[in-house]
Amino acid sequence: MLKAENVTLAYGRTPVVHDVTLEITPGGVGLIGESGSGKTTLARAFLGLLKPVKGVILYGGRPLTDLRAFRREVQPVFQAESLDPRMRVGRSIAEARPAMPVASLMEAVGLDPALAGRRPHELSGGQRQRVVIARALAVEPRLLILDEPTSALDVTVQARILELLAGLETERLLITHNLAVVSRLCRTSHVLFAGRVVESGPTAELLARPMHPYTRALREAVPELGGSPPAATGAEPVTAATGCAYRLRCPLAVPACEERPEPVAIGDRRVACHRATEL
Amino acid sequence: MIEVSDLEVRYGTHVAASVPALTVRPGECVAIVGESGSGKSSTLMALLGLAEASGNVTICGVDVLRAGPRELRRLRGSKAALVMQSPQAALPPTTRLGAFMRRALKLHGVRASMEEAMRAVLLDPALLRRYPHEISGGQAQRFAIALAIALGAEVILADEPTSALDVTVQAEVIAVLQRLRAERDLAVLMVSHDLALVSTIADRIVVMKDGQVVGTLTHPYTRQELEAVFGAQG
Ligand SMILES: Nc1ncnc2c1ncn2[C@@H]1O[C@H](COP(=O)(O)OP(=O)(O)OP(=O)(O)O)[C@@H](O)[C@H]1O
Ligand code: SF4
Ligand SMILES: [Mg+2]
Repeated sequence: MLKAENVTLAYGRTPVVHDVTLEITPGGVGLIGESGSGKTTLARAFLGLLKPVKGVILYGGRPLTDLRAFRREVQPVFQAESLDPRMRVGRSIAEARPAMPVASLMEAVGLDPALAGRRPHELSGGQRQRVVIARALAVEPRLLILDEPTSALDVTVQARILELLAGLETERLLITHNLAVVSRLCRTSHVLFAGRVVESGPTAELLARPMHPYTRALREAVPELGGSPPAATGAEPVTAATGCAYRLRCPLAVPACEERPEPVAIGDRRVACHRATEL
Repeated sequence: MIEVSDLEVRYGTHVAASVPALTVRPGECVAIVGESGSGKSSTLMALLGLAEASGNVTICGVDVLRAGPRELRRLRGSKAALVMQSPQAALPPTTRLGAFMRRALKLHGVRASMEEAMRAVLLDPALLRRYPHEISGGQAQRFAIALAIALGAEVILADEPTSALDVTVQAEVIAVLQRLRAERDLAVLMVSHDLALVSTIADRIVVMKDGQVVGTLTHPYTRQELEAVFGAQG
């Protein structure tokens, strides 16, 4: 329903997202990538908050113009969403004009309705995040754009919220560092590195058999319960300005990588790496 | 070295956390895990004298709950460092990293090589010329640790130090902490909701629920006791 076509995004004159084509398809879409890779920037463009310097954002096949209906249908749940510090959280939720009672909404996201009378600073970070989710769900949106919705939450609360999100009809674009979360909630995933999509495909396959070396590094760095510390390379997390941006960290880099790899289709995967077919 | 006994953290009359005993010796890493609102962060704040609390807290020889504001500021600025989830937000936006570190060193009368501290956390010293918004989250995290080392910190208290980072960068930050523990006998107390992560590095795991310590696990952990932590949280 929402699609970025060859979108380039910039702050001032510095482009941070380059020529990205990405469609929010049914079944949930995951956006994974390192800190600073442009995930939030792309999310802001999908919300109509940032205009592409190149390319277009299409909503139902048409360029984003009438933002009014759109604003209700597409709801953000952001990392650092700031709730009004003076407003009791129950009122914050009620202000969004929910279709169901505030107490049921709070229960739905695992919040004790007794907390409705508290102000944001009287709640833990995780509880605040749940208020933000309750507020976004209040208007029964068609699409949720979630930026690290559960990263501040502990595993059990996380599980309850994932359960909740998984049971919703609402389409979603989910930005996260957590691979377990995308595998649970997103049929399709895209891996962003230095502002470019380096790998896309069905989530289960992409995580089981990553084709891009960065996707592989991501998967291998996930700590295992009771295992050994995640392997570190000791390398500066730098990105190359020319050629493949990952080449300064890539264990497979060859001289050809000084040339930028174009994304190519391999089965139902798209991968931007000169050596993808060898993996 | 951190020693805690009979700690009670309060917001007004509400007891947010109560910790009967907790010790972190030099070179050790102890993790506090628990669901959101279980009192982890409140405990950490109280240890640095940043929350109303009673009981006994000794950090690097300073009696935290009875120390004056000047002594506390000295402790927080040099011997004990706090590393937050998003250290970028705590850096003055219009000051270059190098100027910020130089000022901190001068304030505490410490002579140390800034370049060496940067290299110790695998950061290019050239980054000292950058402004906070010109570095990534992972770099900011390691800069906070570099600053702590330059100031001669013996203890690091970290609140979700890697939860804003992707797992590849998290692995690098954790590796730096591990090396500093081994090489400099740094004591690390870390609050985290990531049980899998802490199970790979912590000597002990303190489990909190509803403001109470409901269990302490000691390395090596069995799969069974780790899985039971999820049960205790549920
Ligand atoms: N307001 C801004 N002005 C200038 N540069 C910005 C601004 N916001 C972000 N950037 C830069 O744009 C790039 C992409 O940032 P973005 O916030 O989209 O990354 P992200 O993938 O969401 O990272 P994280 O995982 O840390 O949230 C980064 O290099 C960042 O420093
Ligand atoms: S193009 Fe080269 S450097 Fe880039 S990911 Fe592939 S092998 Fe590594
Ligand atoms: Mg972001």
